[in-house]
Amino acid sequence: MAGTLNAPNDTVARLAGIDTQVRRGGSGTPLLVIHGELGVPGWLESYSRLSQSHDVIVPSMPGFGSSQRPDWIMSIHDLAAWITWFARDSGINTPVNVIGCSMGGWAAAEIATVAPQFFNKLVLAGPMGIKPSKGEIFDYFLENGMTGLRRNFHQPESSVEFQRFYGKELTMEETDLIEQHREMTCRMVWKPYMHSLTLANLLPAIRTPTLIVQGSEDRITPLDCGAQYASAIPGAKHVTVAGSGHAVEMEKPQEFAGLVLEFFKA
Amino acid sequence: MQRQFFFFSEMGYNAYPEEEADKYGYTSLMFPNSIFDPQKARDLWQMFLREHEFASEMGFDGSVCNEHHNNVLSMQESVNISAAVLTQRIKGTIALIGNPLPIHDNPVRVAEEIAMLDLISGGRIISGFVRGTGIEQLSTNANPAYNRERFEEAFQLIKKAWTVPGPFRWEGKHYHLRVVNPWQLPLQQPHPPIWAGGILSPETIRWAAKQRITYLVLGSALDATASCREIYHEVAREDGWVPGPEKLGYLIHTSVMDTDEEAFEMGKYHYGGTSAIGRGKSTGGALTQGTGSAGASSGPHPEWAAPPGYISAQAKQGAMARERRMSEGTYEGAIKAGLIVSGGPKTIIQKFKHIIDRTDPGYLTFWAREGRKPHEATMRGIELLGKEVIPELREHKSALVTGKEVTPWPEH
Repeated sequence: MAGTLNAPNDTVARLAGIDTQVRRGGSGTPLLVIHGELGVPGWLESYSRLSQSHDVIVPSMPGFGSSQRPDWIMSIHDLAAWITWFARDSGINTPVNVIGCSMGGWAAAEIATVAPQFFNKLVLAGPMGIKPSKGEIFDYFLENGMTGLRRNFHQPESSVEFQRFYGKELTMEETDLIEQHREMTCRMVWKPYMHSLTLANLLPAIRTPTLIVQGSEDRITPLDCGAQYASAIPGAKHVTVAGSGHAVEMEKPQEFAGLVLEFFKA
Repeated sequence: MQRQFFFFSEMGYNAYPEEEADKYGYTSLMFPNSIFDPQKARDLWQMFLREHEFASEMGFDGSVCNEHHNNVLSMQESVNISAAVLTQRIKGTIALIGNPLPIHDNPVRVAEEIAMLDLISGGRIISGFVRGTGIEQLSTNANPAYNRERFEEAFQLIKKAWTVPGPFRWEGKHYHLRVVNPWQLPLQQPHPPIWAGGILSPETIRWAAKQRITYLVLGSALDATASCREIYHEVAREDGWVPGPEKLGYLIHTSVMDTDEEAFEMGKYHYGGTSAIGRGKSTGGALTQGTGSAGASSGPHPEWAAPPGYISAQAKQGAMARERRMSEGTYEGAIKAGLIVSGGPKTIIQKFKHIIDRTDPGYLTFWAREGRKPHEATMRGIELLGKEVIPELREHKSALVTGKEVTPWPEH
């Protein structure tokens, strides 16, 4: 099952105070996806798979894709607050199932610590937000955009999704978008870099059933970060997907969607 | 105003082994400081300071100092310390080009230090402010995405600290101070002349014009510099005033020796392709990379020179940035584009008359020591500039003012 380049629905509407791009497809139980620092290049194969049984809602975060960038969003905490506003404005009934990828996983975890009523179940894919006790979170800002993108994959050359979106000569618009995403990320996570000094202390307060998925070959977020999340959130599970890099939702869509659906069913 | 002539040197750490630069492919940000040798640096400081002193003795109106971090390009990690030393070593003006405002979390400290310098020097300070290079944002952990916002807010805060009686409270976006009340204020009233240094970022030129402060072109080619002046004057026209020459400074790589041939040879030390410092050896093209630039994309790590948000889309695509990139690539190309002005006294006088005719800068700064240029050659260059070149240029009125024909660029 391949993804398509375009989402079944791709619209820009005034939501949560800004013009917001929302990709949406499928029907069934709503599933909100909070993307990470790379943004969303299109309708991913994993979304396609999940939309067989879910109404998959993928907003471009403020400053990403064609969503506007408000000046006031300067931290992941700000972003988390915006996401809850977005859900209200979009008429998404809570509690809702949520997937948060990488930096988006961090935002989701922030919400879970203060608004447990927001979630039904929570999936964190390679979540940022916690300082690893071993190793370091990859510093995107000492390398160029393409290096960061490639590093999200264990084997970019054989990843269908990588090849589909990035394995070609990029247009000026596409490279500008990569830079735009880096800049918005920079505005929110510069210092402390990609982690919070409070989040780890608050994770034990989370009551949401949580699954942490990470590629076994994650070279962006050390596996220790996922392990810390799992040991701090009561009842959480940490699953690694063999042969995948950081962007597990892109590099191993079948395995990722399978794990998510199994978790939602249980 | 009478045109003023300054001497500039980055005072770079030129004693690193060439093979280390080859091994890493860069000499900034991540170039390991285990390569640094304090004994060599001590000697370099004495040599560089002597060169400044000599420029003052030879009739220069002043010296220019600067600040960079994590970079062999310059050993000046505090422009205010450099300036403090120069107040004791030279007679004339000391222009700081300058304090990189966004890297500071307390800009009032900068206001205090400049006031100290102005008092200690008896009012000889020009206070330049810059955004800092991309590398400086990374090495001091200043968020590049807010670089311009921080620069402008810090500028407003410093200016207010100098001009509005304290104590007052500052609640901005990036800066928050409960009691702004620096005890020492500058000797020059209401404050020392302020310069904004830049590398062709149109936003900075427009901003400087709006603030009516001097814009200093940092080492750019002549055509681009002429365009800068036009932008500045256009903004001034819209605001209903006419800038004098004191609103433009021009800092330019200069190699003068007794003959054109010698000057051409010594000029190579100013170019990235030979042993000039702070440049990417692998590409040899990034002549001005060390000062941060819209054209820095040719350096070995362009993402260091332009971290996210540091360079606006406008500046990246600007016509001036393109013009600049086109001139990079070879030493001869850099000479041709006017990125390095070289010649014996007669030739270089004619070249600078041409430059003055096209740009009319109130402040002309000769970047006359660079890289591993031998000390003796540097001293001879300074002597020729002071004794032969500056006296000829001091009274030269720009064709922009006289309406006369532009002095032709010499044939050879």
